[in-house]
Amino acid sequence: MQKALGDFIHALRQAGLPISSAETLDALKAAQLVGIENPKVLRHSLGMTLTKRLEHRLIYEQLFDQYFLSVTEDESNPDNLNTEPDSQGSAPESSSPPAQQTANDQTPAELSQPLQSPLAQQLMDNNPAAQQVMIASSAPGAGAQSMSLFTQIPMVSYRIMQTLGDQELLAELAEIREDNPNLAALLEERRSNLQRQVRDFVEQQYLLFGQGEPQKLREDNLQKIKLTNIDHNNLKLMTELVQKAAKKLASLHSRRRKITKRGLLDVRRTIAANAAYDGFLFHTKWKSTRIEKPKVMVICDVSGSVSRVARFLLLFLYSLQDVLPRVRSFVFSSDMGEVTELFETQDMESALAKVMQDWANMPTDYGSALATFEDLALKDIDNRTTVIMLGDARNNNIDGRTDIWQKVYQQSQRVLWLNPENKFSWDTGDSIMSEYAPYCSHVETCNSLRDLNRILGSVLKNHR
Amino acid sequence: MTKEAITVIIRNQDKINTPETIKQHFEELGYICSDSIATAVYLACHLQKPILVEGPPGVGKTELAKKTSELLSAPLIRMQCYEGLDEAKALYEWKYGKQLLYTQLLKDQLGDVMRGAKGPDESVARLHQFGDIFYSEEFLEPRPLLEALRTDDGAILLIDEIDKADQEFEAFLLELLSDYQISIPELGTVKAKSNPLVFLTSNNTRELGDALKRRCLHLYIPFPSQNIEQKIISAQVPELNTELSQQLVKFISELREMALKKVPAVSETIDWARALLLLNVEQLDQEWVKNTLNLLLKFQDDIEAVEPEINNLLKAANKTH
Repeated sequence: MQKALGDFIHALRQAGLPISSAETLDALKAAQLVGIENPKVLRHSLGMTLTKRLEHRLIYEQLFDQYFLSVTEDESNPDNLNTEPDSQGSAPESSSPPAQQTANDQTPAELSQPLQSPLAQQLMDNNPAAQQVMIASSAPGAGAQSMSLFTQIPMVSYRIMQTLGDQELLAELAEIREDNPNLAALLEERRSNLQRQVRDFVEQQYLLFGQGEPQKLREDNLQKIKLTNIDHNNLKLMTELVQKAAKKLASLHSRRRKITKRGLLDVRRTIAANAAYDGFLFHTKWKSTRIEKPKVMVICDVSGSVSRVARFLLLFLYSLQDVLPRVRSFVFSSDMGEVTELFETQDMESALAKVMQDWANMPTDYGSALATFEDLALKDIDNRTTVIMLGDARNNNIDGRTDIWQKVYQQSQRVLWLNPENKFSWDTGDSIMSEYAPYCSHVETCNSLRDLNRILGSVLKNHR
Repeated sequence: MTKEAITVIIRNQDKINTPETIKQHFEELGYICSDSIATAVYLACHLQKPILVEGPPGVGKTELAKKTSELLSAPLIRMQCYEGLDEAKALYEWKYGKQLLYTQLLKDQLGDVMRGAKGPDESVARLHQFGDIFYSEEFLEPRPLLEALRTDDGAILLIDEIDKADQEFEAFLLELLSDYQISIPELGTVKAKSNPLVFLTSNNTRELGDALKRRCLHLYIPFPSQNIEQKIISAQVPELNTELSQQLVKFISELREMALKKVPAVSETIDWARALLLLNVEQLDQEWVKNTLNLLLKFQDDIEAVEPEINNLLKAANKTH
């Protein structure tokens, strides 16, 4: 039972559930307490001890069914669930289907010729439960639990067949084919049945143990891939990554509090602190805690020159506004508009679509955009505001109105400019990055999620 | 099983020896629960672990703790969490007024004690002989958590809406939840006389820390299935006729499918059933639903969204009769 549970927890971890060893112990205790006679109760009990989130619970339930119920379902005998976790040696004898046994009874005399190889004898016995046990017990040796790629399935299946004694069987088959074609045909058929069984088993093992790793690999790679090359298939995963990053930022924010020397007099603590002075109020204690919520304004360039990354930048913008309080979002190509409300009211897909439709792919004009920004938001920028610009500073050789950007810089706490282009292409062609750069606290290249994550992380760390 | 088993649990062994019996006893008390709830209570009792109960508002999270205390006939100690809750309000507090009063009263006596002492060194040495009288049990004002630890036979401790409290407070709870003990600097560690059974509830306004979650059993209570909700109604409002209550439960479950700001929970269903009974309604029709909709929906936007749909919803509710 310990082993079965251990394997199951391993499979859960592979699926990405964070399960600590303390929780494993709890689960074991719970399983001992409720016993394994009632699968429903066991399912609830393990679920409560192992998973602490609703999303995780759903994954858990799926895996539980797959892991503990799959074999029994094949044999249409769900009552026997309790014996299954220990699939190594206790497959129920009673579960061999009667239909096949009758087929066995009718075996004509010519088919009952004695066979030499052990596997051939097994196959003639035709006991699926015993075969299942054989397969399961040879699986770990063949590496069924350490597969990480789908392509390994045929190889592992082949290895299992070898362990079961496939070679001798084939040799014997070749021998008897001439004398006893009927028997050979029957054996052939059973052998291919067995092969199918093995393959099913291995696939199931792959699903249980293998899926996690490639997923992790892909997530890692995605973080490194440039924003410009992300294909649409991965966009969904990317969204989740962005949300993860943004959530990290949000939790950093909410933890920052500050105790001030102002606010209400805390009578209780003051008296307590001054009891030693005969009740004279020497030291005053105050009870005001101020939660510091920085204001963030994000401006996103969606013009033609950044069109390839615009969608991604917007995605980040949207997630950021979703998780951080008090984020104001602006987009522009030649005109600027505030999209805070749009982002708040609409779901991501339709909000992004609307932004792309209304604002994107026009020629860039930083000058007029900044002028609008001045009207819209300059008065709200104070020394707790962080302004983030996502853009390439390619201005089609028009006046960039750096004077406004200077004002923004002076009023705000911090100005970040994240440029999707690499540093060596700044100031080439119509890029005027160096004109804006003096009025930014940080100028960074940002064209992958890893960059974004790192930059925003460091910004929040320096926050005082 | 740990050594210091909960007394109330030993006493009520027969009521909680399987999840099934717990479920039945709850039913007798008028609390209809699903298998997973019964299993959670069973595990919590026997493994002596706190339960973290999550779920939408109004599905009976707090009620579960109350009924468990009724079931085990143990006192229920409730602590409501809110932002800014600190250990002085949750755990213990010194009785400062009493301390002040006593210092005033004892002043003269102190004079007597000190008389004849040579120099400050000797005075202080004499004072030390008395020990910390002002920081002793007599001056301790127990708050809910300490009270729960000091109850002789074990208590049910309900820490309500833990997500409303700050993260610091959550960390402070960890010692209590895993070892059932608490450290008071002036007195030392206070161990539970008998471990309390702890329920924590959360509405998920904030993600709770992993350390806290790790120490708890996690129970998610979703909206009940139609079948269970039907049972709840007949347990809570037995006078209501079955046909109407069936119709009502179906209507509510249709309503929960809609995209609303706040969908009606079980408590709203019960309120509505009571109201319909009071109004002597025989059959749900458009007029009645329209007039009582504000019992179910708590936002004007929601009411406006539902009103034009009432007829369709009623049709759907009546269809499977």
